[in-house]
Amino acid sequence: MDERFVLVGPRTPVLPPSRRKKWYEGKPLLSMALLAVILLGCLGCELFMPKDPVYMDLFHAVQAPDSEFWFGTDTMGRDIFSMIWYGGRASLLIGALATAISTALAVLFGAVSGLAPGWLDGLLMRLTEIFLSIPSLLLIILLQAVLGKASVASLSLVIGVTGWTGMAKVVCSEVRRLRSSEYVLAAKCMGAGFFHVLGRHLAPNFFSSIMFMVVMNVRSAIAAESTLSFMGLGLPLEIISWGSMLSLAEKALLSGAWWIILIPGAFLVATLLCVTNIGNWLRGEGDRRESNL
Amino acid sequence: MRRKDPFFYYGGKLLSFLFSVFLLSLAAFYVARLAPGDPLVSYYGDRAEKMTVQERAQAESRLGLDQPIHVQYVRWLENALRGDFGISYKYKTDVRSVISARLPNTLLLGGVGFLLIFAGALALGAVCAWHEGTRLDRFLCRAGTIVSCIPEFWLALVLILVFAVRLRWLPSSGAYAIGGGGFIDRAVHLILPLTVTVAGHLWYYAYMIRNKLLEEVRADYVLLAKSIGLSRRAVLFRHCLRGVLPAYLSLMAISVPHILGGTYIVEMVFSYPGIGTLSYESARYQDYNLLMLLCIMSGGLVILCNILAQIVSERIDPRMRSEEPPEVTG
Repeated sequence: MDERFVLVGPRTPVLPPSRRKKWYEGKPLLSMALLAVILLGCLGCELFMPKDPVYMDLFHAVQAPDSEFWFGTDTMGRDIFSMIWYGGRASLLIGALATAISTALAVLFGAVSGLAPGWLDGLLMRLTEIFLSIPSLLLIILLQAVLGKASVASLSLVIGVTGWTGMAKVVCSEVRRLRSSEYVLAAKCMGAGFFHVLGRHLAPNFFSSIMFMVVMNVRSAIAAESTLSFMGLGLPLEIISWGSMLSLAEKALLSGAWWIILIPGAFLVATLLCVTNIGNWLRGEGDRRESNL
Repeated sequence: MRRKDPFFYYGGKLLSFLFSVFLLSLAAFYVARLAPGDPLVSYYGDRAEKMTVQERAQAESRLGLDQPIHVQYVRWLENALRGDFGISYKYKTDVRSVISARLPNTLLLGGVGFLLIFAGALALGAVCAWHEGTRLDRFLCRAGTIVSCIPEFWLALVLILVFAVRLRWLPSSGAYAIGGGGFIDRAVHLILPLTVTVAGHLWYYAYMIRNKLLEEVRADYVLLAKSIGLSRRAVLFRHCLRGVLPAYLSLMAISVPHILGGTYIVEMVFSYPGIGTLSYESARYQDYNLLMLLCIMSGGLVILCNILAQIVSERIDPRMRSEEPPEVTG
C-alpha cells in the first residue's frame, strides 16, 4: 500500500450478519473441565486409589513408573498415583481456606479504611505498608512457631494472614467511591450499622471488582503452600500434599528419580493454570473498541 | 494543600521514611524476640542444650538477653544509631561483615535479573501490542500465562534435573566453583538462577505493558498523530510508549524488593550464597542481630521503593496529580 495514502479513523469491520454468540464462546471450557476433573478426582479418591497413599512400602522405594505403580513410588516407597489425588485435597483445601481468610480480612480492613476519615485512612495504609515490609518469611516462621506443629489449618491461616493487603487496597478505593452515594447515605440516616451497610450496600457493588483477585488468591495460596512445604516450613512429610511430596525433590535429584519431581509438579502447574485462566476470564476483556493505531 | 516547595516535599518524604523504618525496626524486634526458640543454640551450637541453669543465666546476661524487651530494644537502637549492629551469634563476627560478604552475590543476581525483566517486559509488551490480535500476540499471551503459573522452585528443580543432572551442561549449585571465581565461572553459575528469576516475573510486567499500550492506542490523540502523517511505528514508540512509561516506572520501583525477595527461593534451591539464604538461616535460628539488620535493610528497601514510586507518579507524570479524586466527605 502506498504510504502516502493511509486511511485514518475508526474502521468499521465487516461483520457477518449478526450472529448470536454460542453459550460456550469466550469461556475457558478446557480449564473448567480440567479443574473439575482434578477436583472430583481429589474429593472421590477413595473410589479408585489402587494403593493406600500413606503406606510406606520400603521394598518398592524409588521405583520408576510401571504397570503396578503407575506414577512410580517416592523415596519412602509410597505410591505416587494414590498420593497425587489424596494429597490434592490438602493443597486445594489450603487454597480455599487461605483465600477465605484473606478475603475476609481484606474486605473488613478495606471497608474500615475506606469509610474512615482521610487521616485515619492514611495511617491505616501506612501501617499496611509497614506490615508488608516485614519479610514475610519472618512472619511465617513466627506464626508457625506460635501455632505449633504445622497442619492444614495453621498453614491456611499463615498464608491467609500474609496475603490480604493487595485486595484491601482495591476494596478501600471502591468503598471510597461508593460511600457518598445516596443509598449509603439513606441507609446511614435510617440508622444502619457498619456491617449492614457493608453487607447490603457496599459488598454487592465491589464484589465484581475483587472477584478476579479472589480467584488469583486461590492460585497464589496453592503456590505458597507448595513453596513453603518444599522449603520445610509448611506441611511435614507425613501430611501428604503436592508441596510436601515435592519436598523430597532434593533427594530425588541425587538419584535422578524424575517422576518424584515432574509428576506432582505437573498436577500443581495444571491446577494453577486452570485457576489463572478462569480468573482472567472473570476479569473480562478491557476496551473492545477498534484500535486507532 | 500540597506544598510546592521541593524542600518541604522531599523533607516530608524523608521524615516519613525515617519514621517508617523506626516502626519497622520496633515491630521486627518484638516479632523476633517473641518467637519461641533459643538464641543460645545459634551462639553455642549443641552445647547450649547441655548447659546448667547457672551457665545459661551467665550466657544470657553476657549477651544481654536477660533484660526486658524494651530495655534490649533501646540498647540496640542506641548502638545502631552509632553504626554498631552487634555481632552475629552464629558467625561470631560483626554482622556488617557477614552481610557484606554475601551482598554482592545477591545484588549481582537480583540486579541483572531486574534489568533483564525491565527491558524484556518492555520489549515483549510492545511486540504484543504491535501485533495485537494476531497469532503471534495470542501465542505470546498463552505462553506467558503458562510460564507465570509455574512456581519458581519447581521450575528451578526441573532446570536442575534437565541441565545439571541429565545433560551435565551447567552446575547445579553455588555461585562459583571451588578455587574458581573468574568471570566465565560466575556467569555459568548464574545462568540457571537468572533464568528462574526472570521467568518468574517477566510476564506479569510484560502483560501490564501490553494492556496499558492497548488502552493507549485507543486514545484520540493517536488519530490526530496518524492524520498528520506519523508512521505507525512513530506513534507507538514515540507517543504511546511515553504515555505508559510513568506508570511502568512507578510499578517497577515497587517491584524492586519483590524481585530481590523472589531470589530467596532461587538462592535456596541453587544453594547460592546470598542474602536470601542468610535471612532464612537467621530467622530460623534466632540470630537476632543479623536478623535485625537484614530486616531493616530489606524492609527499608521496600519503604524506600514505595516512596520513590510515589515521587515518580507525583512529580514526573502531571496527569497523576490531577487524577487524584477530590476528597469527599459525607
